[in-house]
Amino acid sequence: YCDLHTFELQAPTRLIEWARGNRVCVAGYRQSYGNEILQLIPPPTLLTKETQGLCPERDFKVECGGFSERPVYSLKYVPDTSLMVTSGPPDNSLQVWQVSAEDSDVIKYVSTIATENGTGQSWAKIATISARVPWVLHGSTLDRVQITEVESRKNVYTAASRGSEELSGLAFLDCNMLLLCCVTGRLCLADIRQPQNLMEATSVPSAPCSEQWCMGTRHGPQGLELRSQPVARLSSKGLLTLTDLRKTSEFLALAKARVTAPGSGAEFLCVSWAPALEGYLAISGFDGTVHVYDTQSWDSSGSEAEPIFIHKGHAFGGAGGSGDPPLVTVHTWHLQKPRTLLSAASDGSLHVWDWVQPCGKC
Amino acid sequence: MPEIKVTPLGAGQDVGRSCILVSIAGKNVMLDCGMHMGYNDDRRFPDFSYITQNGRLTDFLDCVIISHFPLDHCGALPYFSEMVGYDGPIYMTHPTKAICPILLEDYRKITVDKKGETNFFTSQMIKDCMKKVVAVHLHQTVQVDEELEIKAYYAGHVLGAAMFQIKVGCESVVYTGDYNMTPDRHLGAAWIDKCRPDLLISESTYATTIRDSKRCRERDFLKKVHETVERGGKVLIPVFALGRAQELCILLETFWERMNLKAPIYFSTGLTEKANHYYKLFITWTNQKIRKTFVQRNMFEFKHIKAFDRAFADNPGPMVVFATPGMLHAGQSLQIFRKWAGNEKNMVIMPGYCVQGTVGHKILSGQRKLEMEGRQILEVKMQVEYMSFSAHADAKGIMQLIRQAEPRNVLLVHGEAKKMEFLKQKIEQEFHVSCFMPANGETTTILTNPCIPVDISLGLLKRETAIGPLPDAKKPKLMHGTLLMKDNSFRLVSPEQALKELGLAEHQLRFTCRVHIQDPRKEHETVLRVYNHLKGILKDYSVQHLPDGSITVESILIQATAHSEDQGTKVLLVSWTYQDEELGSYLTSLLKKGLPQST
Repeated sequence: YCDLHTFELQAPTRLIEWARGNRVCVAGYRQSYGNEILQLIPPPTLLTKETQGLCPERDFKVECGGFSERPVYSLKYVPDTSLMVTSGPPDNSLQVWQVSAEDSDVIKYVSTIATENGTGQSWAKIATISARVPWVLHGSTLDRVQITEVESRKNVYTAASRGSEELSGLAFLDCNMLLLCCVTGRLCLADIRQPQNLMEATSVPSAPCSEQWCMGTRHGPQGLELRSQPVARLSSKGLLTLTDLRKTSEFLALAKARVTAPGSGAEFLCVSWAPALEGYLAISGFDGTVHVYDTQSWDSSGSEAEPIFIHKGHAFGGAGGSGDPPLVTVHTWHLQKPRTLLSAASDGSLHVWDWVQPCGKC
Repeated sequence: MPEIKVTPLGAGQDVGRSCILVSIAGKNVMLDCGMHMGYNDDRRFPDFSYITQNGRLTDFLDCVIISHFPLDHCGALPYFSEMVGYDGPIYMTHPTKAICPILLEDYRKITVDKKGETNFFTSQMIKDCMKKVVAVHLHQTVQVDEELEIKAYYAGHVLGAAMFQIKVGCESVVYTGDYNMTPDRHLGAAWIDKCRPDLLISESTYATTIRDSKRCRERDFLKKVHETVERGGKVLIPVFALGRAQELCILLETFWERMNLKAPIYFSTGLTEKANHYYKLFITWTNQKIRKTFVQRNMFEFKHIKAFDRAFADNPGPMVVFATPGMLHAGQSLQIFRKWAGNEKNMVIMPGYCVQGTVGHKILSGQRKLEMEGRQILEVKMQVEYMSFSAHADAKGIMQLIRQAEPRNVLLVHGEAKKMEFLKQKIEQEFHVSCFMPANGETTTILTNPCIPVDISLGLLKRETAIGPLPDAKKPKLMHGTLLMKDNSFRLVSPEQALKELGLAEHQLRFTCRVHIQDPRKEHETVLRVYNHLKGILKDYSVQHLPDGSITVESILIQATAHSEDQGTKVLLVSWTYQDEELGSYLTSLLKKGLPQST
């Protein structure tokens, strides 16, 4: 490690979102009432590019917080506004919140974007984009994908239905193109200018239906067209595929991650690209570790890939063996510092870490 | 309604010069008397004119309580007691009493000698002030006067820090001062019992902080020290005699042992003796682990840490030195600093807050060229690091304390209003108590519901528990009795006993109601009709037809007579006692409806 900071949140979170001004947001996901949404200011060590050792301020500060009655499974800031949108069981509706850190430190609930309810306990996945009018893309299953204007709650677009599989993620590629990923691994592209069409991207390599998939798209530096960035997909058995959206008929690369308990549950599967390092991605959700891989050496053979680094901190954090070992619920990359990641686990721990390159450079 | 009034004179919504006035059941208590370290003028003292515009404060206050020794909690004490005027008792724990005067004298020296201020308290004033101090032990109930009592609880944080419970009758307030809910290497965690005070006054300085784990801080501290020593540099750690110094010594000693390091670690001589002396004196104030090991070997007698001699500062090679005073404003630590400042291989690690005007403050602000006496310029090339091992409660700690004490109301001090709204809501939602955050000079009034104890007679208790279902802890049981207030005591007794004691006779109330019924037949036939009617309807009750022509329903009597003027109407007299009111009313309305035709 180059640097490691460990923190303990009062309640575990399954999301870490970046906001304007380098703020970080986390939220509780307990089934019972009384989950907190916290917007945190990271310590100055994380804000500056160079690492300092004994900075006076080493702590996260809670800048503002809000209370949610339902568990918060997903949260996204609406760019260019002071709003944020959350979702969580038991239904597909979205909650809209107002964050005004200068006036008060309470995140206030503003309104609900209601949707038709699907069956079961599904919850909506969300994505937001900075557009002329703030939009939120949401849906829990393939046949319920829509874009709603956040403030007016007007529906702007509904995707054509191509099945009712559960979605594991969705993203805006740009203001017209959407990417949807189902838990079966199916990727679909949609153009909002053509609501009737839903293009299918490639399927997944193997077809045992017990696997669940999630995806990661790269938010590269400004100006880089998102469509040209490969999309990574991770399965609950540890399989990783990279796909170029311009050539969806074949895989760019295929690899297998070395995971200890494959298929143990896909609730917290997470794969993400490094914003400041070309070709690096991280995966988590199998156990108490986070793996970092350099995909530039990968090919389409599907062989096992060697991680560049494994963060094991969460596995050691727990209070001496009581209960289940902690499971990493989410991880995210620091937007500017190339090798810094933040990860959270089911025991409430929040780690900020930074690894040493194998060649010794830090 | 009885109430508790709280007015912060300082630390209302800012950090520094803690001073809170509490008015409880007619008693006035001042909690802490601190100095604001950021100001150089009168603003550094709390505004005592709030208590009274002129004259001495002795008559207005019943006592003063100091929670712990840092200057922002006791710095204004000599000013308050000697310059403004107060002669009443001042309570604090034994360690605080021992350490306070040293800090005050130290501070006085800097302010008057170094900064040249004139309107400040003198050494004699400090001494006179300390004469008014009464030291207390933990968990010892101290009677301030007949009605007011106080009790100190362990607060962790620094040596001697305590949380105080102030009780008058059955109203109580707990003031936390600064506390820490997680134990560290040399102090335990704060603890309080379920005393259920009407009000808990808590600091919230670090409520919005999510702290970096201690392990990481310590690891970084050790890394810095290790790196410096490895490249042959010297590390200077200016400390105050007590507090963080012991913590760091234990940390370094363990690290040196584990890594088998050879570089010497020194501890200023005066420091060792004084510190050891205080820790031995107050060994009950340290944590469990230390107390246990103290028996085997003195935790504060270190293998790798030796006494320092001035000459050692010139020795070549790496070393680590702990020296006083902590802000580098005078004495040995400043001397060493001047010797080592010019070498970039060396490092100075500042342990905490430094008052403005001290060298410590200057170098932490980034100054690298310092003017020393004799107009000499000192160039600082050594690395300057700051280390915060402060031990305050964070949001989780505050919630824990509230859970332990179970107060009915919470009041927060030491934080900015805007930044405490979230914590306030959190407390209100989780514990369903009201949370207040007054500003300086603002009075908060808290209504209390004092409990009035009432004795219940055994006979009444036995009788009531014999009736009805068994008592259930979850359901309140309704009881009937008479409350006697006699001779300053409250008692609950049965009505019969109350009558006997008071020499009163019981009055019987009987109601009689006339119901007119159209019935031309003879009286005894009417009675028979009524009897059959009632017997048919009131199947669960005892309905009897007596030989004298009256009907009884349970204990209610019904008689029939003819109307004096109208033979066709019969008058039914229904008569019942107060106890049978319900049945009586029911019967009356039933009969008023008339008799069915068939009978």
